[in-house]
Amino acid sequence: MDEYSVGVLTNIGLFSFLALSAYLLLIAGEMSFGQQAFFGVGAYTGGVLTAIYGVPLPLAALAAMASGALVAVLVGLPTLRLRGLYFAMATLAAAEMARILFEVLHFQHEIGGELVGPDGTQGFRGIRWVFERGVEPLEYLAIIYGLLFTVLLAFLLVERSHLGATLRSVGADPELAASLGVDVNRLKLGVAAAAGALAALGGVLYAHHNTYIEPRNFDIMLGVHSLAYALIGGLGTAFGPLLGVLVDLGLLEGTRVFQGYRMILFGGLVAVLLVFRPRGLLDERVVHWIRDRAFKRA
Amino acid sequence: MKVLLLGLLGLAAVPAAAQAIRAELDCKFSGTDFVYDCVVRLARGGVPLAGVELSIGADMPSMPMAHNIKPVKAKPGKKPGDYEARLDLEMAGEWAVKLRLSGPVRDQLVLHYEFDDKGVRPAVRRSGTSPRK
Amino acid sequence: MLADLVQNTLDGLTGGAAYALLAVGFTLIFGVLRRVNLSYGAAIMFGVYFATWTSLNFQVDLIVLALLTIAGAVLAGAYVERLCFAPHYPSRGSPRTGVSSGSIAAMVASFALWMQFEEAAILALPQHLYAFPPLHTGEPLRFGQFFLRVESLYLLLAAVAVCALLYTILYRTRFGLAVRAVIDVPVAAQLAGINPSWVFVRIFALASAIGGLAGFLIAASHEQVTPMLGMWSTVKGMLAMMLGGLGSLPGAVAGGLALGLVEAHSQWYFGPQMRDLIAYLLIFVLLALRPAWMTRWTSTRSAS
Repeated sequence: MDEYSVGVLTNIGLFSFLALSAYLLLIAGEMSFGQQAFFGVGAYTGGVLTAIYGVPLPLAALAAMASGALVAVLVGLPTLRLRGLYFAMATLAAAEMARILFEVLHFQHEIGGELVGPDGTQGFRGIRWVFERGVEPLEYLAIIYGLLFTVLLAFLLVERSHLGATLRSVGADPELAASLGVDVNRLKLGVAAAAGALAALGGVLYAHHNTYIEPRNFDIMLGVHSLAYALIGGLGTAFGPLLGVLVDLGLLEGTRVFQGYRMILFGGLVAVLLVFRPRGLLDERVVHWIRDRAFKRA
Repeated sequence: MKVLLLGLLGLAAVPAAAQAIRAELDCKFSGTDFVYDCVVRLARGGVPLAGVELSIGADMPSMPMAHNIKPVKAKPGKKPGDYEARLDLEMAGEWAVKLRLSGPVRDQLVLHYEFDDKGVRPAVRRSGTSPRK
Repeated sequence: MLADLVQNTLDGLTGGAAYALLAVGFTLIFGVLRRVNLSYGAAIMFGVYFATWTSLNFQVDLIVLALLTIAGAVLAGAYVERLCFAPHYPSRGSPRTGVSSGSIAAMVASFALWMQFEEAAILALPQHLYAFPPLHTGEPLRFGQFFLRVESLYLLLAAVAVCALLYTILYRTRFGLAVRAVIDVPVAAQLAGINPSWVFVRIFALASAIGGLAGFLIAASHEQVTPMLGMWSTVKGMLAMMLGGLGSLPGAVAGGLALGLVEAHSQWYFGPQMRDLIAYLLIFVLLALRPAWMTRWTSTRSAS
């Protein structure tokens, strides 16, 4: 594969973590405008650990996920009892606060004659752990997709379990779920933590792919896109968000011939798609239909 | 899985390159919207660095995963250490230019430049939201 | 010290008046439709770009530019309403709580159109920055040692006038009665033969016109435009709306002014980064605590 195809596939894989993170909250009935913050927390935590402290990437990735989950719990505790748009706005405010904190974060050390570390709005250069170990782009791509499929497998197992059914019941009607004995608050906090960790994993992988991050990478555009991907792909299955990312980035790449008009084309397509499929391509009905067919044949 | 193995077994950090490679970018606006003819100057320790295979990409600082340009291969320029390429950007404004060096020297560099109809200049960072950012 | 405080307050009112106008339009849509229109700012930017393009190619009066901006914003707003909101209006079977799929779909669709407007603006005017004819060319007003920009008076006046106009429309006209009926007693309104979609379209047009007016005044006071105006208007309008309690028009004005004052003072004492941080922190804390005035609309269900 050429450099370009590897690059596109890498971006699709990395974005999928964030879209899955938004999807997880959506099926639990919460719409977050702030998942980009946890992506950023993961990127910065992982980057500082590998670039400044020489921590191996796998350990740094685990630490990044833990910090993503921790921040998500801290944000979730005061906000998860908010409904609908209040929650969306609170997460947006939290994410913008995180972005501004990245802008004022200066933490540089001299490594091999170069200053390395977050330098406020100037960004964070030199996250070269993957690059310096001679990992080829294709190998890194394999690692990203290996992790992505592990996550996807976990999603599919959870969705088929009792926990998955509980999750969707909370998403559909939290009062009803609570009256049936579900601890809604605890469940939502758990979901928020898992979604935070997932976004952070995407972030740490992104930072090491790009070797460079800056606060603006994690602005509101990123969060709204991941929400849009989850919805375009469909809320019926964890394959939905992946399809959403694939459709968007695939179309963007495929329509490069349209040059400046591709966002006009794509924006219109998304709006029209949502007229006919307001819960995305792979919505619950389609997923049930596919399961029924597969079941009959078996 | 190479990374995982390396990470678990090889805790020893690989020493950084003896001397870091510096890069400078100079572009001329081609007259067609957002197409620029660029020269990259590579140097190591003040000495021009020739004979490198160089590919140039560019990301927008917001949404780098979606808004980027297809990397192009640069050709050796008039002077040693110079490399030439034509960049076709989506729009004017700030871009993070990504240089990937291969061949005898492997490296990866990111530069920030502001593109407009006059050419390029290193990007100035502002902060805070404003209607005219 | 005191002099700084007074001057910052005057500056804060200037910014706040712009936010108030943006928030009124945003709130009108949210209060009536219970939907967030993410392309609200982008439609405003579209209107402003339409006027900018005209001013670059033809010699036109400021008042014509204002009308063109409003017309452009209304046109863009109508397009957004038809494509993103009309197909997703709440039906009787929609869930009572949480986020309904209709509201997410409408929001994501409006986001997709935001991308369209931004690209269209860049195609029409490819440079990053364009000059916009100034609203006022003379000196700012002086009160002893204090300054007040004349532009901010226009913005404040416009905010007051728009609120008075909306109040009249909502409480003194048959259309206003229909709007309030659709919000407060949707079933009864339908039984009385009021078509909610008919109400929504007009509300959308009204909100877009207010947005267009805001966009014109903002561009003419800054004397320049960039595509960033779209995102900026959406974010600031949304923040001011939240501060004002979501869905209340006087609240939107108060929220806009409060946001302007908080920003002006924190910028003076702590710099631009802290200015934004403090504004977001304030909103986060308010949402987390949810004071009574922020949730009032859920109980009284009033649009005003």
